Amino acid sequence: MTTSVPSTTVVDDIADDETVDNAVKKRLGFGFWVAISWIGLVSLAALLAPWLPIADPNEIANGAPRDGILGDNFMGTDALGRDVFARTIWGARISLGVGFLGILLGIVVGGALGIAAGYFKGLVDQVISFVVFSLLSFPSLVLALLITASLSRSFLTVAMTLGIVGIAPISRLARATTIQFAEREFVQAARVIGAKSRRIIVKELLPNVLIPMGALTLLGMGISIVAEGSLAFLGLSVEGEAISWGKSIVDGSQTRDLNQNSHVAFVPIFAMFLTVMALNFAGDRIREYTDVKETAF
Amino acid sequence: MSAPQLTVEDLYVRFPTSRGTVEAVNGVNFTLEKGQMLGIVGESGSGKSVTAKTLMNLLPRTAEVDGNIIFEGDDVRAIAKERRKHFWGVKMTMVFQDPMTSLNPVKRCGEQITETLRYHLGDDKATAKKKAIDLLEQVGVPEPSKRVDQYPHELSGGLRQRVVIAMALACEPSLLIADEPTTAVDVTVQKRLLDLLDGLRRDRGMSMILITHDLGVARGRCDDVAVMYGGRLVERAPTETLFADSRHPYTEALLRTIPRIDQPSHTRLEPIAGRPPELIDPDEECAFAPRCRYAQPDCLKAIPPVGGVRDQHEFACFHPANTDRGRQALDTNLAAGQTVTGLQIQADAGVN
Amino acid sequence: MAGTGHAPLRGDRNVLLTVQDLEVEFPVGRNEVVHAVSGISFDVAEGETLGIVGESGCGKSTVAKSIIRLNDIKSGSIDYRGNDLAHMEGEALRQIRPDLQMIFQDPISSLNPRRKIRDVISEGIAVWGNTKGSWSQERIEELMVAVGIDPKFGERRPHQFSGGQCQRIGIARALALDPKVLICDEPVSALDVSVQAQVLNILEDMKARYGLTLLFISHDLSVVKNVSDRIIVMYLGKVCEIGNADELYENPRHPYTRALLASIPEPAPTVDVSEGDIEGELPSPIHPPAGCRFNTRCQHATDICFTDEPVMQQVGDSDHYLACHHPVEVAVSVG
Repeated sequence: MTTSVPSTTVVDDIADDETVDNAVKKRLGFGFWVAISWIGLVSLAALLAPWLPIADPNEIANGAPRDGILGDNFMGTDALGRDVFARTIWGARISLGVGFLGILLGIVVGGALGIAAGYFKGLVDQVISFVVFSLLSFPSLVLALLITASLSRSFLTVAMTLGIVGIAPISRLARATTIQFAEREFVQAARVIGAKSRRIIVKELLPNVLIPMGALTLLGMGISIVAEGSLAFLGLSVEGEAISWGKSIVDGSQTRDLNQNSHVAFVPIFAMFLTVMALNFAGDRIREYTDVKETAF
Repeated sequence: MSAPQLTVEDLYVRFPTSRGTVEAVNGVNFTLEKGQMLGIVGESGSGKSVTAKTLMNLLPRTAEVDGNIIFEGDDVRAIAKERRKHFWGVKMTMVFQDPMTSLNPVKRCGEQITETLRYHLGDDKATAKKKAIDLLEQVGVPEPSKRVDQYPHELSGGLRQRVVIAMALACEPSLLIADEPTTAVDVTVQKRLLDLLDGLRRDRGMSMILITHDLGVARGRCDDVAVMYGGRLVERAPTETLFADSRHPYTEALLRTIPRIDQPSHTRLEPIAGRPPELIDPDEECAFAPRCRYAQPDCLKAIPPVGGVRDQHEFACFHPANTDRGRQALDTNLAAGQTVTGLQIQADAGVN
Repeated sequence: MAGTGHAPLRGDRNVLLTVQDLEVEFPVGRNEVVHAVSGISFDVAEGETLGIVGESGCGKSTVAKSIIRLNDIKSGSIDYRGNDLAHMEGEALRQIRPDLQMIFQDPISSLNPRRKIRDVISEGIAVWGNTKGSWSQERIEELMVAVGIDPKFGERRPHQFSGGQCQRIGIARALALDPKVLICDEPVSALDVSVQAQVLNILEDMKARYGLTLLFISHDLSVVKNVSDRIIVMYLGKVCEIGNADELYENPRHPYTRALLASIPEPAPTVDVSEGDIEGELPSPIHPPAGCRFNTRCQHATDICFTDEPVMQQVGDSDHYLACHHPVEVAVSVG
């Protein structure tokens, strides 16, 4: 006599809700939250700058010129007596704004190009790759010069410059990630079901490609912020009275100031350093955290 | 009777992880006689590969090992530092599943063999190369003097595996451990590789441990077969005894679930319900109980100790198949329509 | 090059799918091609399970993928109810897709790790809406229960399931569109032995319940015999032998089929173990041998085997065909 388990009553054992989710969940870590808090704080301050109880950043002779830290002004004044603290906060508006907008442009355009190249391959890939390689080969500084020379050096054009420079590397990453996923069987399955290309890209590829790229956003912002600093040193950042960290650092870097009133340069330097480090750290943690979700037990 | 060549005693291997401690090997005991071919059969997670790696000292640093491993009189876990360099790879060697990961893709095949010879035996370049060509011939690689200078990617999967075997045999080991050596190759290649291993073993009087998930492979080639489940060794017997008269319900279930070539087409297969056992902080019970047709209350109260006849037919079960106790347990469960773990069972109308 | 001929085509009304003179090539390197499938013909009757068995490089997976046009076809025709799938493009091809669905080899890779399994299973319905008749959410629940996945787990993602469960989810997804033909590409090869039976039984049950026609590709001879009504044996892009499952294993005539049966760890009783000792390596599919492609390794090869490609011929009166100049006579007595 044989016995058997009737096959329609397959004893299924999926681990209980809580245990699996908790077990697999990786923690982002304390450091991540510290970093995010800092970024949040700076962003908030930048956004609310006009309403914060701080000095007018452009007011000359707000305090005695070249006054040190914790004198009458919280972080001292620069050569023209302007409040350094206020200038740093207002500088965040442009630096962060330019960084964010720049990377956004890079991801939207670069991402779209990369995904298209990776999914459709063939001629589409060849054309897009050619354009991207050309961009990559073009010295970014010359590009920045060209753009800011022909257009005004406003917030938007500086953001656009940074964005355009970012398109090429981002699209390479997007393309590589897309190719990696486009060969997976679940994409083939979607084709077999009869989904059209657009649906496959949106439903199957994007969620998988965007997540690693999302982690890139934070890292990219860090890079953009530093790049703005470089542009400022070349005199290519925002013009006129607009304040950015880059410009503040340049202002404070006259030899005399560096020797005697280094706080003028170092306060914005420090602000930039901490912010970029926080962005890098947080971006890295997100990348690691989102990498995990593929294994079954 | 002389002492066995290899004795593994109360072997425990644990890996601490963020989810808890994985008990990969949970109290394994076995011996191996000189010149014997032992098959270790199990599915993924059974602990068979971890056992092999423990013998070969290939575990990651995080592994916690307890127990004794005695090989030809030496306590393997306590080998003196000076001797360690020339123990593994010489007296005891291993062949892995995927030849591409055993072979360095940027080194010629001959080099990978001569490297072993020169490091362990101190051979000079010329001697080593001559030996390498000789070894390649022994393992059945055609045109060995040509192949010795080729890179792994220039060889087929079967040939690569032969090169790996040549590497393993270079220093004339007493024990060869083969971990799924033919899983990655086609069935015709598999036959020839297994024939090769068989022949080499007999010629050299070498012992072998053949690890596989394929019962058929074990059956054709091994003197004894041991079955592992949930990190434990649940049954061991001479091959034919194991297949004709299995005692452990897992062994029996395995044999009934695989399609056989002598069955007619569309024979209904008997699935093993449930899923692989939990290796993290396992309970003090029989690992197979949740899936076992014979399960009784006492199976959930303690880990069954290994019983049966030592060195003849050992199994770890309170209600073994093909025994009166087992048959009684099965009848009880059938009458109730389910086992003590809630597993639904019913009698088949026909006979298998 | 010539194909193996049309002898095995039965051409009667029950035939659902007819493949004729199928050739598939893949470019490799600069000017060369891999001859993955070189002129094969076969048909599948409605309600039948056709097994395709062979070793790596024989082209069986390529055949499966070609039928549903996951790769390009060099030449040949694939007739499905009057439509030649090989020569259809764009929207016309897409409209037929729901009828022919597939289950893949790697259960985990065949599911999108970022989507809930309920969404994965109902993808077909999401794509086609209710434009094609009997599809609905109830069917999704019904399917999940049928494959043994509790519908309440629909909100989970694939990584929370085991390999066997993922494969069952894949089956449910394929069946959501109520296909006529289900192509199974090595569906149990990546699963543990104790789970294989579960999946194979479910395939049988689904076939009976939903009236499916199955194309089952595998390298495992025992598994293929168990599920199939009829089996094709392939080698290096060609068909060697076709026959009814039991008959083929009872009465194998082609030297390669016999070699396969002799090589498995527990050889079939109908062949002698020595027939598995085929020498040599698989020839390169970029430069396959002229004549019979098995000639480099066959124990019975003669001159004609090196010049003339053998054509499919019927064995006696039965549904058994093979392409060989020297079919083995089956008076082998095996001890």
